[in-house]
Amino acid sequence: MMSPRAAAAGTIPRVRAPHTLLRRLAAGAPARVFLIEGRNAPAESARLRLSPLIQLVDSPRWASILLVAGDLPAPFAEALAHVHDQMPHPRRSVLWDAAAVAPGAQRVDGDADVVAAALHGWQGMLLAGTVETETSWLPDVDPAPWRGVGPFGQGGEGMMGGVPYGRPMAQTAPDRDGLDLDQLDVPIGPFFPPLPIGLVLRLALQGDVVQEARVEANGFEALSAAPAAVERGGDPFRRALHAPVSLSELERARAVDHLQWSAHVLRAQGLAAYGLRVLELAESAARADSRELASHALGVSRLRRSLARSRALEPSLAGVACLGAEAVRGRGLGPIARGCGVAEDARLHDASYTALGFAAVTTQGGDALARWRQRLAEAEQSLVLAARAGDAHVAARSIQEGPRGPIAPAHTPLAVQLALLPGLLRGAEWGDVVTSVLSLDLDMRDVAAGHSAPVPHEAPGDA
Amino acid sequence: MRTLGAALVIVLAAGGAWLTARAAAGLVAAHGETAPQRVPVLGGLEPPTHAWNRYHARYYAMALLFLAFDMEMVFMYPWAVVFREEGVTAMVEMLMFIAILVLGILYAWRERALDWA
Repeated sequence: MMSPRAAAAGTIPRVRAPHTLLRRLAAGAPARVFLIEGRNAPAESARLRLSPLIQLVDSPRWASILLVAGDLPAPFAEALAHVHDQMPHPRRSVLWDAAAVAPGAQRVDGDADVVAAALHGWQGMLLAGTVETETSWLPDVDPAPWRGVGPFGQGGEGMMGGVPYGRPMAQTAPDRDGLDLDQLDVPIGPFFPPLPIGLVLRLALQGDVVQEARVEANGFEALSAAPAAVERGGDPFRRALHAPVSLSELERARAVDHLQWSAHVLRAQGLAAYGLRVLELAESAARADSRELASHALGVSRLRRSLARSRALEPSLAGVACLGAEAVRGRGLGPIARGCGVAEDARLHDASYTALGFAAVTTQGGDALARWRQRLAEAEQSLVLAARAGDAHVAARSIQEGPRGPIAPAHTPLAVQLALLPGLLRGAEWGDVVTSVLSLDLDMRDVAAGHSAPVPHEAPGDA
Repeated sequence: MRTLGAALVIVLAAGGAWLTARAAAGLVAAHGETAPQRVPVLGGLEPPTHAWNRYHARYYAMALLFLAFDMEMVFMYPWAVVFREEGVTAMVEMLMFIAILVLGILYAWRERALDWA
């Protein structure tokens, strides 16, 4: 509750300068950063998590610095303002290779270590009071005052009378026990870690059970018109659509992508230290010499064995988000289909892969645990291929197998993946909702122009 | 008179604790909260409904079961006081009592009263 003195002082808060010793102790702690990665984010942003100087947090309420890396489209501007204003004081917003989102935002540049040191320095300055905290980007106005229709502000429409702060009370709907209980309409916005950035879900929640889920339009499509955004120079899979690319580079990028996703899932399931280990393995594989890739493949295989032995993820992933083989066959879903036992892979039609003895890896089960095991098995297979490839090149083809499924110049698997979500989320509890969404590995930024065209399904034997 | 003095001390200590708590709350409270901060974190969107809602307390069966076994525990307290003098007979009788109640737990387990999610 705001004390009357603070209320009278207006909305600019007075941040008390703490005692010197306390100030120094607080400034020495890792800076808490809320990271938003937009389109064309610098590749170094994946390494930020490994820095001991900062701590990436999952909620703006725990953060003191808002870091925007990469471009965000205009539809997200208001959501970004909400997230910024929810950060407690003292706070600062920082841009990293991003278009300006608000006046007064600072810029940083460089690799992950430089940026982490800069952010840590910012937190120190904020706590010492040498730098002013940022004011709100949105006006300090409630949607509507708390006032009903009666003479004392009571009464009105809604269950308990009135429309508090302009938001009506929840109405009832049937629930799974045959009762009529309240149902909240909750929009989970674009910036809600650990869910993918840019995913907007509208959920009808009863307690923590989702009765109905809808996926809103992807805001990142507003950026797809920009020509530089469609072909990311650093994305070898997109490059392989137009020019030959080294097979070793392609498979290494695939393995790193799978490992980074695995680290994300481990973090979301609460195994943060395990996630850091996997992230370090991914970063070391990204940088390794081609001679060392075989030892990284061994590292992944050891990781798979230790995770399977510890059964750490089985309670959370087993039996969650089940997909039938018929629901995924022939829709260009890549690892999701292979996790249901359907052996579809665009690499099977490529001569360079078959020359290396490539065979599609599949896992039976179709649930989140099967997809988890599938991606790790594919990561190991990719590292083995990358180590053995030597100078082999993948010829430019109109369909290439990306880490999330087959891609074409005008197609990504994203639309088909999003179509699976409402069916998976219906009736799920909140923990299973997060598990299901993460098991599909959505990348909302992966939008190509004309994405609605389905990818032509290749019959075996086609070139 | 001594008890009155003790009661007075307790009242004064409680009053002092209340004042201390209020002052401490004033120090750590979030001052200068703006309207955008008085919204739950949903990732950037505004909630269309107010957050006050009722949800089913599905763990009520578990709570009732706990009450029943709490009453069993009440019976065990006087038993524990005399149990050493009474010897093995008391032990066996208590085990029989507990065994009958464990049958109740197994029944509740089978009827999924312990599985409220």
